[in-house]
Amino acid sequence: MKCPPFSYHRATDVADAVAALQAADDEGKILAGGQSLVPVLALRLARPSVLVDVNRVPGLDSLERRDGVLQAGALVRHLALAGQALHPLAAEAARWIGHTAIRSRGTLGGSLAHADPSAELPAVLRACDGAVHVAGPAGSRRVGADDLFVGALQSAVGENEMITGVELPVPDAWGFAEFARRHGDFAVVAVAAARFGDRVRVAVGGVAGVPHLVDAGDLDHVGDEISDDHVALLAAAAADDVDPASDLHGCAGYRRALTEQMTLRALADLAGRPQPVREPA
Amino acid sequence: MTPDDQHAPASGTSVRRKEDVRLLTGRGRFVSDLALPRMRHVAFVRSPVAHGRITGVDVAEALEVDGVSAVFTGEHPAIAPVALRAQSALPGYVETDQPPLARGKVRFAGEAVAAVVAADRYLAEDGAEAVVVDYDPLPPTVCAWVEPEHPVHDEAPDNVLLSRTFRAGDADAALAEAHVVVDRELTTNRHGGNPIECRAGVARYEDRRLTFWSGTQVPYIVRTQLAELLDLPEGNIRVIAPDVGGGFGVKAVLYPEDVALCLMAMAMPGVPLKWVEDRVEHLLAATHARDHRYVLRAGFAADGELLAVSADAWCNAGAYSVYPWTAGIEPLMAGGLLTGPYKLAHYTCTVRGVATNTSPSGPYRGVARPSTVFAMEALMDSGARALGMDPIALRRRNLILPADVPYRMPSRLVDDSGAYEACLDKAVATFDLDRWRAEQTRRRVEGGRPLGIGVGVYNELTGLGRAASAGPRMAFRTGHDACTVRINPDGAVTVFSGVTSQGQGLETTMAQVVADALGVDYDDVEVRYGDTDSSLWGFGAFSSRQAVISGGAAHLAGEHVRGQVLALAAALKEAPVEELDLRGGQIHMAGQEKPIISLAEVARVAYLQSDRLPEGFEPGLEGTRFYDPIRGAFAAGAQIAALEIDPATGEIGILDWVCVEDAGRIVHPVIVDGQIAGSIAQGIGGAMYEHLVYDDAGNLSTGTLLDYLMPTAGEIPELRIGHVSTPAANPTGVRGVGEGGTLAPNAVVAGAVADALGVEVDDLPVTPARVWELVQR
Repeated sequence: MKCPPFSYHRATDVADAVAALQAADDEGKILAGGQSLVPVLALRLARPSVLVDVNRVPGLDSLERRDGVLQAGALVRHLALAGQALHPLAAEAARWIGHTAIRSRGTLGGSLAHADPSAELPAVLRACDGAVHVAGPAGSRRVGADDLFVGALQSAVGENEMITGVELPVPDAWGFAEFARRHGDFAVVAVAAARFGDRVRVAVGGVAGVPHLVDAGDLDHVGDEISDDHVALLAAAAADDVDPASDLHGCAGYRRALTEQMTLRALADLAGRPQPVREPA
Repeated sequence: MTPDDQHAPASGTSVRRKEDVRLLTGRGRFVSDLALPRMRHVAFVRSPVAHGRITGVDVAEALEVDGVSAVFTGEHPAIAPVALRAQSALPGYVETDQPPLARGKVRFAGEAVAAVVAADRYLAEDGAEAVVVDYDPLPPTVCAWVEPEHPVHDEAPDNVLLSRTFRAGDADAALAEAHVVVDRELTTNRHGGNPIECRAGVARYEDRRLTFWSGTQVPYIVRTQLAELLDLPEGNIRVIAPDVGGGFGVKAVLYPEDVALCLMAMAMPGVPLKWVEDRVEHLLAATHARDHRYVLRAGFAADGELLAVSADAWCNAGAYSVYPWTAGIEPLMAGGLLTGPYKLAHYTCTVRGVATNTSPSGPYRGVARPSTVFAMEALMDSGARALGMDPIALRRRNLILPADVPYRMPSRLVDDSGAYEACLDKAVATFDLDRWRAEQTRRRVEGGRPLGIGVGVYNELTGLGRAASAGPRMAFRTGHDACTVRINPDGAVTVFSGVTSQGQGLETTMAQVVADALGVDYDDVEVRYGDTDSSLWGFGAFSSRQAVISGGAAHLAGEHVRGQVLALAAALKEAPVEELDLRGGQIHMAGQEKPIISLAEVARVAYLQSDRLPEGFEPGLEGTRFYDPIRGAFAAGAQIAALEIDPATGEIGILDWVCVEDAGRIVHPVIVDGQIAGSIAQGIGGAMYEHLVYDDAGNLSTGTLLDYLMPTAGEIPELRIGHVSTPAANPTGVRGVGEGGTLAPNAVVAGAVADALGVEVDDLPVTPARVWELVQR
């Protein structure tokens, strides 16, 4: 469990980082918080020739709200995201990430670029229909949440690109629920729910290669008040809409049931009601 | 204040632990910390294949890697002649070889095939990647209760390395007479010890002497076995176990990697070789445990008397018979102690140790009994349901009581405890069973998360003497340890103990025992241990034995030297020895408050002023004593807990957990409670989280701590720990306490979930997904 050889470049700014990636000829990797990358290196599952350390790049840790959208730098640590009040859904989701040591180092941009389908922040990005700003050799581009996640641990960010910032629209109401085996584990199933006006968006982590945006048909059309019946219908629609695989932590049916349950809880959270507990059949 | 108050015994109080200053301030010295001149680092090449013939190993490219100085394979002349061969005199036991590095074929994914020596570990891993091994795969077997397609060892075509039937009375006849008969089929989950410090070793061979620093629990066994394997005089081998970060049995094994490291060091004289295992290697190739299946039948009389138990057990021994304990370690313990704290006349139990293409099974805290307590308590719960009896009343009906001891168990082990009912009574009272039963009923009527109550009563066989071996008949009997007590010329005391410590405070415990036996202050006693060149003998840390056995030796040695001191003091002061007492480092005459002479002055005479030595006295004040308890000390325990279930997610919430144990006379209350709490936490880990899973191809699916879930402080509830005390018949009255806590959680968690949902829980671990499935039924 020792990293294979690599060279190290400490980037001074975004252009320098992109240039270093380009010079690495598709063999470079951005080092931000390192919470996913370093274990992967230690297991020798990846062997980049250059690590481009962006931790000292100035200006990437800003957090501000403009026109109802949280504008966050890519280097915002999970701990900072958890502690801000500008985007309460992102704050709540960040509190579910790992442990303090992990949250102290892990970054928003890193989590989105890593694209773990069980991670919290990718689900939040989809629920809020956010976007990332990506810098590359040809300049900067904007990638929407629906296009960012391509597959498990695969994002639309190119080998020579880096995420520099994140746009996260602030919902009018929100809810978040997660089931993990232990405190701090990756979710078995996590659900982020966000209401913008009269539309509710539900994103489910842990049930597919990418965070899954629930297609609930017309059910996503809601008023200011959401009835218990509507919540139950939406949760059932979410469970119908996912197609999870079986793994060590449970069969597909279990993940489907958790999807329904976590959606119920997230929507109850969104509707401002106490979380329901389903009684045995 | 009387002199006796000033010098209250150190035992029974939570004195400050001697080891904590260094351990808590980051100044512990572990094998991993060791740096020696010219030292090089080793990385092992491990098989990615569960079962296959090795058709070629090409090391040429690895030797070209920067910083790599040597590569060893199983065929290397330094390695090839040696094999680890765990021996047992049990009839029918199939002896098999375990090569230090695989030879001819590999038998599990993770088996070491080659070793690379390099300037540092990074370069050694670079070299390991460059070793090319070709395999011709064979069909793997990962399950111990299916027919193998291709045997793991040619010597055992059915993979069974050992089988034994325990028999008492006539179980078939008694079952035929029983009022109710219950059947259960259970499996328990493979998991392992996972100490915070993985395995580690540094081997140095110079001037025909081998020094092996090893994070081992058993340095003297390691020395003896290495002498035999390496063909060295035992006196030329020194094994040093410095501070060790946890063991739990995993480090009571001499591993092929250890032997390979020493053989390589002998091939590279003057170059110390270091190997520090990482967590991936540990999960893959350190010993696993508890991968068992039980098919059980029990018969009860109408009044609840347990009449008969008939059992079949399969224990997955993994790819090799673990050295030196053999593949019998788990099955023999399972068959010997299955019946636990219950009286039983008619018993038949066939146990098997079965080879598979998985990492070898070895000793792990509780050895087999977390599984057998689960099995026995499942029979009790099923029996209670079939009889319509209260499950706790049924247990009470059958417990071995004080009037029954010494009680000869059906496996012929002799139980000296009889404190089971006292533990159960106190646990039930502390837990407030009536209150929890009322809450359970309230929830059933009014609604609410289902609540279940689980119980486990158990006996921990501790401090095994020469006549109490529950294990395989090996070439050595582990009944005794030695201790040397030396008074220094300044009157302070140095103890050379055979103990090893992996964090459980033996340094403190031994100092307390010697201080009291000798009559000096705790602060005046220093303890040396973990070095075969300094202390005479100790079998090490396993079977909850050291407080009993090494503690007994420490007490006897302390008493012996106290006799020397008093005799010399009596002669010097011309006082009758029978009227002298040594306490607080001062010699007192009976009835006099003022001491007549200090220990320091007696010591000065003994070492430095031979002109003052009375006629017939040799210089020096030192004595060594062995102790063997001959039998063992059974330690009773009972745990009871209330759990609630979220039926929507299957999540289990632990509402209350009570444990009451009989540790006999307690030397250090905080250490004892720490042992109990830690072992319950490990037990909960095994019951609810930890599971080493192999796929059908023999790949370990849970290869990192991302998938192999260990409980953290967040998962372990507040534990309420109580004690009863029936001192054992040994010099200090202690009963071992290292393992008991692990024995009940499987039974408690499975029993509580079954109680909450009205189902039977047959398979472990009890995960949320499994609970959810039970709810769906």
